[in-house]
Amino acid sequence: MSILSIRDLKVNYETQDGTVQAVDGVSLDLEEGQHLGLIGESGCGKTTLLKAIVQVLPRNGHIVSGEIKFQGMDLLKLPPAEMRQLRWREIATIPQASMDSLNPVQRVGSQLTKLLRVRGGYRKKAARKRAVDLFDMVGLDTERLMHYPHEFSGGMKQRAVIAMALALEPSLLIADEPVTALDVIVQHQILEVLRELERELNLTVMLITHDISVVAQVCDSVSVMYAGRIVEEAAAEPFFASPAHPYSLGLQQAFPNLARPRDELVSIEGYPPDLREPPSGCRFAERCPFAQDDCHETDPQLEVVGDGRLAACLRSSEMDALRIQAEDPTLWQNVEVARGLSTPHPPAPSSPHESLPFGGGRPTRREGETFVGSTTTDGSPSLSMGSRGHRPAGEGFGEGENMPLLQMNDVSKQFKIGGGLAGLLRGDKEQTVYAVNNISFTLRRGESLGLAGESGCGKSTTGKLLVKLLDASDGSIVFDGDDLARVDDKKLLGFRSRVQLMFQNPFEALNPRFTLYRSLTEPLIIHGWKDESERTQRVVETLDRVNLRPAEVFLDKYPHQLSGGQLQRVVLARALVLHPDFLVADEPVSMLDVSVRAGILNTTRRLARELGLATVYISHDLSLLQYTCDRIAIMYLGEIVEIGPSNEVINNPQHPYTQALIAAVPAPDPTIENPPLRIREGVPRPTEQFIGCPFAQRCPEVMEACLEIRPPVIGDERGHQAQCHLYGEHRDSPKLNREAQLAR
Amino acid sequence: MQQEASVRGDQPSKATMEFRQGSAIRQLWETNLEVFQRDKMALFGLFIFAVFAIVAIFAPQIAPNDPLTPLKNNEGDWIKDAMPYWLAEAGEDEAEGYVNNFLLGTTNIGRDIYSQLIHGSRSALLVGFSAAAAVAVIGTVVGLLAGYYGGWVDAILMRAADVAFGIPFIPFIIVISAFLDPSIWNVVVAMAALLWRDTGRVIRSQVLVIKEQAFVSAARVSGASDLRIIFVYIAPSILPLSFLYGSFAIAWAILTEASVSFLGFSDPETISWGFMLQDAFNSLALSREAFYWIVPPGLCIMLTVMAGFFIGRGYEEVLFPRLRRM
Repeated sequence: MSILSIRDLKVNYETQDGTVQAVDGVSLDLEEGQHLGLIGESGCGKTTLLKAIVQVLPRNGHIVSGEIKFQGMDLLKLPPAEMRQLRWREIATIPQASMDSLNPVQRVGSQLTKLLRVRGGYRKKAARKRAVDLFDMVGLDTERLMHYPHEFSGGMKQRAVIAMALALEPSLLIADEPVTALDVIVQHQILEVLRELERELNLTVMLITHDISVVAQVCDSVSVMYAGRIVEEAAAEPFFASPAHPYSLGLQQAFPNLARPRDELVSIEGYPPDLREPPSGCRFAERCPFAQDDCHETDPQLEVVGDGRLAACLRSSEMDALRIQAEDPTLWQNVEVARGLSTPHPPAPSSPHESLPFGGGRPTRREGETFVGSTTTDGSPSLSMGSRGHRPAGEGFGEGENMPLLQMNDVSKQFKIGGGLAGLLRGDKEQTVYAVNNISFTLRRGESLGLAGESGCGKSTTGKLLVKLLDASDGSIVFDGDDLARVDDKKLLGFRSRVQLMFQNPFEALNPRFTLYRSLTEPLIIHGWKDESERTQRVVETLDRVNLRPAEVFLDKYPHQLSGGQLQRVVLARALVLHPDFLVADEPVSMLDVSVRAGILNTTRRLARELGLATVYISHDLSLLQYTCDRIAIMYLGEIVEIGPSNEVINNPQHPYTQALIAAVPAPDPTIENPPLRIREGVPRPTEQFIGCPFAQRCPEVMEACLEIRPPVIGDERGHQAQCHLYGEHRDSPKLNREAQLAR
Repeated sequence: MQQEASVRGDQPSKATMEFRQGSAIRQLWETNLEVFQRDKMALFGLFIFAVFAIVAIFAPQIAPNDPLTPLKNNEGDWIKDAMPYWLAEAGEDEAEGYVNNFLLGTTNIGRDIYSQLIHGSRSALLVGFSAAAAVAVIGTVVGLLAGYYGGWVDAILMRAADVAFGIPFIPFIIVISAFLDPSIWNVVVAMAALLWRDTGRVIRSQVLVIKEQAFVSAARVSGASDLRIIFVYIAPSILPLSFLYGSFAIAWAILTEASVSFLGFSDPETISWGFMLQDAFNSLALSREAFYWIVPPGLCIMLTVMAGFFIGRGYEEVLFPRLRRM
């Protein structure tokens, strides 16, 4: 029996600029015990659908027509009081960012028992017992009931929220992005909890997410939503094996996959259509590489395309052939060209400099501004873009054929917290946070290095040290022969023109009061470009390089007029406008929608290769780093625990921490179930220095030696190094069991 | 949706290309314009200030008599306590030997109240705008420096603000007046010395927010100097806030000047509305029901103060759109 049945639901939002048809004719059936994943990029109406089901639409949103039946009851005809009874008791929701929905001034346990008593009619004792059971169920220590939310880590809060959602034994759980913004390891464990609960409680689940690997891990069926409509419906396994709608195809191929690394990711160019005036034909046609003329005129309906599978595509009969074609990323890139929406650009990024005068030194360089130590002979900075080709990963690691561009020698960074006058008056003890501890690596010209690790591992601090936004407490950072701690102002300005940073949040990275032209021209003004027409020319060239075309259209835009993907391209353009030698990209795509992520990554990677740019990518996403980097370094508590060529680190991880990180990445394939992790969640705060191995506290392989002796760095001839006792002279040290470890 | 439209926007016109350079100033101008376009109350406030400004500038031309010189009748006696001509009994002025053309009558020593009122606008606006400018400028600079540099700069400036918060305002002015010669500038000095504290605090907190944003780091990575970051990147974002506090400060200054004058600590040679009230109070105008002496300066104070707050409110609405719903 279907527990939830939605028929032809239409939801509109009234806005100042017109009526937005956010959900436009969605029909959906959810059987008891089914686990449905609803996927799609943001702005496709997923969350609106959720809000319509539980009827918590914002004031300007209303249901135009359709029917929502829950266990046979028509929810739209239910009086508000009865609807209120249904919420939580029958239909529980975990809203987006629900971790922040816990009341900070109440103990988590009392919030839970209060809910049980007020809404569930439990008596005091029974409520307490039930709270203990619930915490057990989601894998939280029952002592935690007495704690306040700020004493919880992100993962623990999410568990508590799940416990609250399930407290009244609902028959339907709707979770909106339950694991977004969590670290991989925590994410893995939350997914495991969800999977277990599904099994134990025979729960019906509707999971809303943009991340198809999450769906692959916990759902048995999938609905793909695009522009307010459902475009494909299928069981999970056939869906992941062979998507039946071009949009699903694109989404699937836009994800980097650890198991099946790709040469180039697919990026679905463009944006969802304007839902104030939805197109009359297929809504995806504008972005679809397979669109034909009739796609723009005929609105495809959801039709059966196989056993129990539905897809809304006019060409679904040819899908088998299209699926093979879709493997080619250039096909997706050319959609816009084919549709004539923008000026054509060369499809293959193989020889783009011929047409562009990108290269050549800066025209009005003053004497003495060059960063001393530049390797070019004529005194101009090395801007000969494209002269250094990309080296294939793994070739010639170890001995560099020329001087390294950047050397980190035993670099440490500590922060003091709780000090100062205020701390003194409050009686706080000053604490030292050891953010980065003795890290060393070298980076050659044109090489790309990935920094990975959970949040709180010092990745971003390292990034800031690299661009001298922070100064190292100990050790030296040598850039092209100059120690960054000892550069004078003049040299520093030269350094600033050669090293750039790309930011995580493109919405914050540009001055909201500057036009894009102003933002891009600022670095040029700072570095002494006097002639405005030369500046403009450089800005236009750079915008063109990052595929913002025609560049002139963008010059006078303000940041708020652009989408996230476009903004991140602008941020990239600003980083490249001075033709730097070295780029640090701190989580460059984590804030962006899946469909545009690949586009940014592809562009960054292509430009880095063309321009011979050395790059450091900072990300918690290993599959992304494998895709973009020659080498990967894994950081834990401020130390590099493993470093090596990307494929080596991913396919042959040595350090237990690396192994755990890789095991935690959800595979976008329902047939592969991730193994259970043997590591606890939560990175401790690095307020002390470790005598032994920093990872010993969480390590599943922990030995006696790990607690007392610093692990040695063991490496092979390919430059793959790990800092772990498992491979050193203490490898036979007696193992410690987890309980003994926990007791410590 | 929105992005799409932006991508396919038209080519920028030549005018906008040329305008691009001054975009920071233009934006500030636009913010100011927006305040007065959106909020009719703010526009009304601006109108009040404009009227008073014209009156103040042309005071000697508008005022029929000198505000300080006692008027005399044919026999050389002061025309004391004359009623406004529209209240006075007909023929009374001829009997006393003068022509009653006084719109608001005269004081107890024969000064023309209407002329005093006109001249009072001068000191009101002078004090109001100079005190507001001082408060806004000092507060903004303090806030920028404390917020941007942090550390001991912040500690020193903010502890100074704490001290300023601890000093009671009116007594402070009285003490200043005791040390300096009585003058309307005492109020300006006192306000500049104390009232930067609110502006400074608020702007500092705003700077703390802005300086953590990535675009400021980006500027630093591009090699921008501290001064460039402060004045090109951060200052334009907080200037509307300075205007907000500035417009409130205008109102406060006028009010304070009136209070101080009323308490008798003002320069007897300078006419201000507060001084007029004090004069009226001392000469028992209240008991004589000489409302034409008391009400007009009170009304003027009220109007200018209101104008300041109306404009401030307009800025608030643009700066904090959420207030609009309340």
